[in-house]
Amino acid sequence: MFLKFSLRSVFYGAGGGNDIQWCFSQVKGAVDDDVAEDIISTVEFNHSGELLATGDKGGRVVIFQQEQENKIQSHSRGEYNVYSTFQSHEPEFDYLKSLEIEEKINKIRWLPQKNAAQFLLSTNDKTIKLWKISERDKRPEGYNLKEEDGRYRDPTTVTTLRVPVFRPMDLMVEASPRRIFANAHTYHINSISINSDYETYLSADDLRINLWHLEITDRSFNIVDIKPANMEELTEVITAAEFHPNSCNTFVYSSSKGTIRLCDMRASALCDRHSKLFEEPEDPSNRSFFSEIISSISDVKFSHSGRYMMTRDYLSVKIWDLNMENRPVETYQVHEYLRSKLCSLYENDCIFDKFECCWNGSDSVVMTGSYNNFFRMFDRNTKRDITLEASRENNKPRTVLKPRKVCASGKRKKDEISVDSLDFNKKILHTAWHPKENIIAVATTNNLYIFQDKVN
Amino acid sequence: MEFKLEAHRIVSISLGKIYNSRVQRGGIKLHKNLLVSLVLRSARQVYLSDPCPSLYLAGHPGAPALPQQPGESVAGPPAGWGEPPPPAACAAWPEPEPQLELPAVPEVPRAGDAEPAATVTGAGDTLQGGEAEAAEAAWRRVEGPRETAVGGSDVFPQGFGAARRPCGCPPGDEDKMSASPRVDGCCAPRPAGPEPPVPPLVCPRKRGAEGVGGGPADFPAPGSTPLKKPRRNSEEQPGGAAAAAAQEEEEMETGNVANLISIFGSSFSGLLRKSPGGGREEAEGEESGPEAAEPGQICCDKPVLRDINPWSTAIVAF
Repeated sequence: MFLKFSLRSVFYGAGGGNDIQWCFSQVKGAVDDDVAEDIISTVEFNHSGELLATGDKGGRVVIFQQEQENKIQSHSRGEYNVYSTFQSHEPEFDYLKSLEIEEKINKIRWLPQKNAAQFLLSTNDKTIKLWKISERDKRPEGYNLKEEDGRYRDPTTVTTLRVPVFRPMDLMVEASPRRIFANAHTYHINSISINSDYETYLSADDLRINLWHLEITDRSFNIVDIKPANMEELTEVITAAEFHPNSCNTFVYSSSKGTIRLCDMRASALCDRHSKLFEEPEDPSNRSFFSEIISSISDVKFSHSGRYMMTRDYLSVKIWDLNMENRPVETYQVHEYLRSKLCSLYENDCIFDKFECCWNGSDSVVMTGSYNNFFRMFDRNTKRDITLEASRENNKPRTVLKPRKVCASGKRKKDEISVDSLDFNKKILHTAWHPKENIIAVATTNNLYIFQDKVN
Repeated sequence: MEFKLEAHRIVSISLGKIYNSRVQRGGIKLHKNLLVSLVLRSARQVYLSDPCPSLYLAGHPGAPALPQQPGESVAGPPAGWGEPPPPAACAAWPEPEPQLELPAVPEVPRAGDAEPAATVTGAGDTLQGGEAEAAEAAWRRVEGPRETAVGGSDVFPQGFGAARRPCGCPPGDEDKMSASPRVDGCCAPRPAGPEPPVPPLVCPRKRGAEGVGGGPADFPAPGSTPLKKPRRNSEEQPGGAAAAAAQEEEEMETGNVANLISIFGSSFSGLLRKSPGGGREEAEGEESGPEAAEPGQICCDKPVLRDINPWSTAIVAF
């Protein structure tokens, strides 16, 4: 099916998490971990994979660009280097409610590229911004009335006229906010998703989902509202939402109760009534005080094909076929050994961690994070899975990552890690997979790791 | 009864989280608080569903009372729990009242409890229903002390499911929590450590129940501290050292939670007490509101209702 010996592996498919050997490529970020503002809160490749954006708790966005490889030297794919850094959001204060609004970037979503500039949406808890990132590599020189440093010349000293010309300059990347979509959300925004029409997008908070047009900032349409008339009757909140990759009228949203609703915007203006409801009945033997918390869905992602969607809850990843509502077609346990530790994970708040998940370009492998800086990949075809660690210990480029194993109980084998020695402060919540190649970006608390598959 | 202890612990932790969320940067996180309130609700159901001698609780104004307990089948799992109770436990567990006469019974159903029935008998005699009630009442108010005794280990290896047995454990658990070592065998609080079986404590209820046939009369004046009861009881319990330790831990926890609740209450000016009452009432009152009764809770006593709803209301009030 695929030519595995191709060095520039732009292949799709075969070679899942286990057939591939993942190698360390780069790590970005400070070595010591204590700056809170540096905590990475979102990671996203753009549509071509050339750009990789990260958002952090301090409201900054850092964009990395892949080097254009030297075709002759194909030892590895191009490295990602910093392309642009800007402050996207600042802390704000809502005087009416006496609430501070965090500047933490919750989500970044890229728009498909239409011209030379790049556009992305970034959001914090309350405000979404459309940023234009453009390059400038030439500047006009030779003005008649201005000196090169900008000072105005005395017109009487002008004796000849010339036409200003563009001269090359060092590349400068500028980010400018083009649209600010504010004041539409009472609750905290958890998701944004760009429609396949590339003109509209949705933003979702705990109780409502709004539809925006990218050009219009002073109004948005509310398309889902699950706020009960009496807040005391509140039983579930919206946890994530996404537009279908191909059908511009379809979107899904997940809830804290573990359900996913698929809505069709053609059916009615307010999509409170779902077209499909995806829910798996709970396994009564696993009931505990914390059943509800661990069934809350933290992320939902459509496959690239649009046929499937993946959901992440605290302990598992589930793949749903959009044509089957009563149960997922595949379920993968991420860290089942934590099931017996739920009480202590509740105490230290880890049970509230919101892990994300992602598909590879061909939808054959899915990836998600765990604790101790482990992350997991599941190959849907071979049904094999692998656990890898993002650690500075294997720092040499092209070092192959060794699979890790957690020993749930009993005798611990050599090289295994026991559950009790896992570091729950080291969590990988955000991961991203290059849309076309086997390059992954994995965010630990405040470092970004880039891994690639081994090329000969 | 391990459930009770764990439930207590979880309740106190949850209250702490809710409190902290109010001072967190960025405002209250609705999702997290909703989840915490769900956990609180579940924990509370565990308390209330424990079919311990309701007699003990019924009369107690502040008791978390399982007033419905007397009539309820002990075999029923706590409301909301899907897990079926171990048949042995439930089957063996007599109704609360009969239990009074069969002190040894409590021990039987408790899988894993190795405590001989004898202790139960001994303990029972020492417990004064009234005192137990008082302790119970006070306990109710504070709810969920950190059961380091019970949950000493970070892990609940059995998973909650394993430990959770809506057994015929008499509601004595609650009493236990309140540091009243009324524990009947099945609900013996577990001391800190890897869940060693707790020596069964006789449920003081038994005595009270006998005298009152329902318990209310045995309840002491509200407001009495839970502290006295456990210590005394534990001392008198043969083999109750572990339980005593657990009790003491609970006492400490109780104190913390009491503080927590009073802090909570101070900012709930809008939530009025349903009834004027002693200090004990305050905590409940501050949090109680026009909360709809939990489904499955057939509590008839107002005090019970008040107890049932506090956290839900508190959460909602956010």
